[in-house]
Amino acid sequence: MAMSAAPPRRGERRLLVVVLRLALAGVILAGWEAYGRLVDSSLTSTPSDIAAVLAGWARSVLWLNLGVTLFEIAAGLVLGVPAGIVAGLFLGRARVAGALLRPIVVLFYSVPFIALTPLLIMWFGVGSASKVMLIALSSFFLLFFNTFAGAQEVDPDLVAMADIMGASRRERFVKVIAPACAPRILSGLKTALPFALIGAVIGEMLAARAGLGNLLMDSGNDFDMAGLYAALAVLMVVGVVMNALAQRLETWLLRWRP
Amino acid sequence: MSASARLDAITAVTQERRPARAVPLVAVGRVLIVLALLLFWQVASDRLAAQLWVSDPADIAVRLWRWTIDGTLGLHLLATIEAWGAGYVTGGLCGIAVGFLLGIARFADRVLSLFIAALYGLPKLALLPLFVIGFGIGLQSKIALVATVIFFITLYSTRDGVRDVDPDLIASLRIMGASRSEILSKLLLPATLPWILTAMRISVSITLVTTVGGEVLSSNRGLGFLIASSSARFDTTGVFAAATVLVAISAVVNALLTGREAGASRWRG
Amino acid sequence: MDEPVIELTGVAKLFDARGVIAKALDEVDLVVRPQRFVALVGPSGCGKSTVLNLVAGLLDPSAGSVRYRGNPVERPNRRVGYMTQKDTLLPWRSVADNIGLPLELACRALGRAERHDRVEQMMELVGLAGFGRHYPSELSGGMRRRAALARMLIYEPETLLLDEPFGALDAQLKLVMQQELARLTHLRQMTVLFVTHDLTEAIALADEVAVFTRRPGRIRRLCKIDLPQPRDIVSVRFTPDFAGYHDLLWNELKEEFGTGGDA
Repeated sequence: MAMSAAPPRRGERRLLVVVLRLALAGVILAGWEAYGRLVDSSLTSTPSDIAAVLAGWARSVLWLNLGVTLFEIAAGLVLGVPAGIVAGLFLGRARVAGALLRPIVVLFYSVPFIALTPLLIMWFGVGSASKVMLIALSSFFLLFFNTFAGAQEVDPDLVAMADIMGASRRERFVKVIAPACAPRILSGLKTALPFALIGAVIGEMLAARAGLGNLLMDSGNDFDMAGLYAALAVLMVVGVVMNALAQRLETWLLRWRP
Repeated sequence: MSASARLDAITAVTQERRPARAVPLVAVGRVLIVLALLLFWQVASDRLAAQLWVSDPADIAVRLWRWTIDGTLGLHLLATIEAWGAGYVTGGLCGIAVGFLLGIARFADRVLSLFIAALYGLPKLALLPLFVIGFGIGLQSKIALVATVIFFITLYSTRDGVRDVDPDLIASLRIMGASRSEILSKLLLPATLPWILTAMRISVSITLVTTVGGEVLSSNRGLGFLIASSSARFDTTGVFAAATVLVAISAVVNALLTGREAGASRWRG
Repeated sequence: MDEPVIELTGVAKLFDARGVIAKALDEVDLVVRPQRFVALVGPSGCGKSTVLNLVAGLLDPSAGSVRYRGNPVERPNRRVGYMTQKDTLLPWRSVADNIGLPLELACRALGRAERHDRVEQMMELVGLAGFGRHYPSELSGGMRRRAALARMLIYEPETLLLDEPFGALDAQLKLVMQQELARLTHLRQMTVLFVTHDLTEAIALADEVAVFTRRPGRIRRLCKIDLPQPRDIVSVRFTPDFAGYHDLLWNELKEEFGTGGDA
């Protein structure tokens, strides 16, 4: 296609945004580097040192620690998420049990599981098991609360309609109730993902033999600022990727919404 | 639509079928379930699991009473509330201010959004070692942590609120001759207020968890410290006692913020 | 063969609206025989829709009995098709998947290909051809009504309960749909209970028209419409008999509107 004489303004602006972003990143890094070298690097380290640490890690400890953290997150979510959805669906639809258990559900909603990490480490040890349990518990309850609320809010008209059309109990569940809870389930999932990362990291910071949190805490304890920032950089990437994945998943699964 | 037309709607069905007489029974049932769980815990302790690991409700109650009398509870509770409150206010205000600026200056927002999203993706508790090195192990590092957490929540919400204001409204005020500051005070601020309040409300419980999480990791006071130090001594009763206080605060706060029973429907968004 | 399909005897219905007891229906007697098309007209809020909910088994009567083919209606009535006033399309399913839903259910499951064909046919019939892949939120109110109608008609239940099915449609389309409904119910020998505000529509379609009083709803007058079936929905309106029925029923209805109520 031929270049048009006057390119659209929007494209021009987009390019400008990219250029400005790059420039800003450059200025920040340069300022940081200059401050560290010329004034004081005891707290801020310098981008070049951090990069050096990252490069060193990339050839050694990074992958193991990253793998451990990702494994803990994945295992915890696999244990917690499906169980939470199923429990929420069933209890949310069981009228009597739902009414009876509601206050307990609300109470558990108030339990800050992250604060109970020491207890879990006491129970399940310093290894990955305690982190997996922490993530499983918090993701279970997050999904449970959301699905429970969703299941109780399903439009009764839709359920009545399915009944009249002759849907069996199973069909009513699979075709009406579960999909009607999808928005709630997804908002639970979107909260559970960052919580899982936080859970893994806090567990590893508190007591662990491996993992990104452990890497972070070791660097902090050694006052190794470059290591500390390097670990933070890795965590930032993991966090951003997880948020983006959750966003993608939601947009795709809820494409029917206006 | 009149009330009677609504009666006709099928929705009336479900309400109707909910038997009204069952309500007191439900309340009794709820109390019984809670009592049964506590009793089970009490009886099972040392029979199904070692008391050392699971403690029991009676011990926890005694411990709470002792802590209340000797001032332990007050000291740590106060420390937590102090860090929580100070971080909440400073971080919240900064987030609102920056969010407002970014909402108005859209181009700057587009340039900066990438950097903000990157910082937002970072699990904030991971910043604690940095804050401890910078501010020490006391309250200040927890305040900084809590402030960082709420900063991003209010920032995003305020920015979206400002952006959501109908540009036609701004234009019509301009035409009426409103100055920039008048547009700000008469339109943008009131229009954004509900967004800000929502963010502040969501943040209450998240910041509480963050405060205690920070205290668990490194501190010398606070409910989180109490949990961490108890567990370091394998004092399960102490962990549960501190956690009970925490759950109680959290439950009260949630109840106040979301109204009765609405809890399950608005989890920390 | 002439046993009633639907039989309401002395039916009353009370609602508890936040502590205030409201009487929606009082002493309603109604018999619908097989293959009859019965229209219910009356001021809004007179309990016409409640009658449908009772027959569908979504409500229990406070007094009296509701029978379907001789048996009391207790559970949701699976032998009827019900099109409620509010549209109950599943928002997460495309239009085609919504219309095909009844044929997916185990009780009448069809193969994928056959289902697809029937759905296509049905969409053609209600004028939704080409919209199969849209989601309900992307359709206008009238299109959603038509999709709901198609979903009900596709499984050809023996009895149809219709609550203002054509209320949101423009005049042109309304005529087409009315004609289609008349043709189909006649062809398939369906029994129909039809709630409407529109007296003209009621007379043009129905074998019997029941005029309801204001709340608490009672049947003020039941009138047989002795116009030959099948009818041409458009031309039937210009016959003298039609005008006669219209005058008669309008005079009944007018009094219910005239004396207040909340219409």
